[in-house]
Amino acid sequence: MSIMEYNGGSVVAMVGKNCVAIASDLRLGNQALNVATFDKIFPVTDRIYIGLSGLATDVSTLRERFRFRVNMYTIKEEREIEPATFAHLVSSTLYEKRFGPFFIEPVIAGISSPSRGSKPFIAAADLIGCLNFAKDFVVAGTASSELFGIAEGLWEPDLEPEDLFETISQTLLNAVDRDAFSGWGAVVHVITPDRVITRTLKGRMD
Amino acid sequence: MEAISHAGTVLGVLAKDGVVLAAEKKVTGKLLDLSGAKEGGYGGSGEKIFLLNSNVISGVAGITADANSLVNYARTAAQRHLFSYDEDIPVEQLAQRLCDLKQGYTQYGGLRPFGVSLLYAGYDVHYQFQLYHSDPSGNYSGWKATCIGANNGTAQSLLKQEYKDDISVEDAIGLAVRVMGKTMDSTTLGSEKLEFAVLTLDKSTKQPHARIYKPAEVDALLAEHGLGKKEEDAEMKAA
Repeated sequence: MSIMEYNGGSVVAMVGKNCVAIASDLRLGNQALNVATFDKIFPVTDRIYIGLSGLATDVSTLRERFRFRVNMYTIKEEREIEPATFAHLVSSTLYEKRFGPFFIEPVIAGISSPSRGSKPFIAAADLIGCLNFAKDFVVAGTASSELFGIAEGLWEPDLEPEDLFETISQTLLNAVDRDAFSGWGAVVHVITPDRVITRTLKGRMD
Repeated sequence: MEAISHAGTVLGVLAKDGVVLAAEKKVTGKLLDLSGAKEGGYGGSGEKIFLLNSNVISGVAGITADANSLVNYARTAAQRHLFSYDEDIPVEQLAQRLCDLKQGYTQYGGLRPFGVSLLYAGYDVHYQFQLYHSDPSGNYSGWKATCIGANNGTAQSLLKQEYKDDISVEDAIGLAVRVMGKTMDSTTLGSEKLEFAVLTLDKSTKQPHARIYKPAEVDALLAEHGLGKKEEDAEMKAA
């Protein structure tokens, strides 16, 4: 079995009209055994969130590494990091371990600062840092194939925050229901220029 | 050590609910471009007072290039601690890290020491608000109020007379502003010559919060304590 499937878990992010949403399941497992509720999405700044699917120990370590590097950036540059810049930071951090990688597939969702137009932004990368700047949605994790299929069917451009929430929730819940290694509840963050709304979804706990 | 005794004064005052740092800038003049400082995220011109971490600010006196290098080292050390232990670095430990680095330069290698003295003003859960001073030899000590740079003897004795234990942070700000006024070379205080910063505990989150004053805020503070620059027109009118 693959090391990327050891703990299980999936993440998805979508673009809407002046908003982005990022969602993940909450499962942490030991192969087939469910162990704990494990949130995989972390705030980087007020308007940038990163979701990390893959090996749980690397999820925790990378979260702390990114916090280190983003803090250094913020203190030195005296401003908050932009989503696109952060995506490149993620990419270079992962490539540093090109021949002994972190077993992670990150998903980044954010809105650029007002001085840069408050534009929605999503990106995903593979475990060695190859970035994918999709315009519609990005997926990662053990249920990624399922997420691709449902997102392709349900997503449409320019969804308002409330509609984007419904779309991403249905995408995630139905995809993880088809995957044995994802599930155990879900959490969704909808990011708009003024605030972030976080909701926990009730899903099948199997 | 010579460079430090000629550098702009930095003084720190410890209060029971905060720490205050005030510094005199030496690099000033009409041609100096301060537009970054006016809108910039953390305030301060990047000459005397620096944010090291969310819980520690520091004032530097001495060779500015050496100071920048040390500040960068301190920032990285603070983040390394956060990375390993998931907690803000205790203030004394940060001072120790820098002092260990500085001491190394006095014993090994044939390199010259860092020509910088620093004041560290910070908060941690273990010892609450603290103020430390370190010098190029790598010595450090904790203080209730202290001063480095030019005229530090005068300022130190003024602080000794006027400092009282358990002062509030507002009184500490007033004390710092008054002592700066008496020790600074220039006759009138203004935001081009003075940098000011306060570290307190945010009331709602109970987290340390550092505030380096922007130029406009420094002027407002001086006006509040009656030490602001008089308008030139007003003087002419009076004459």
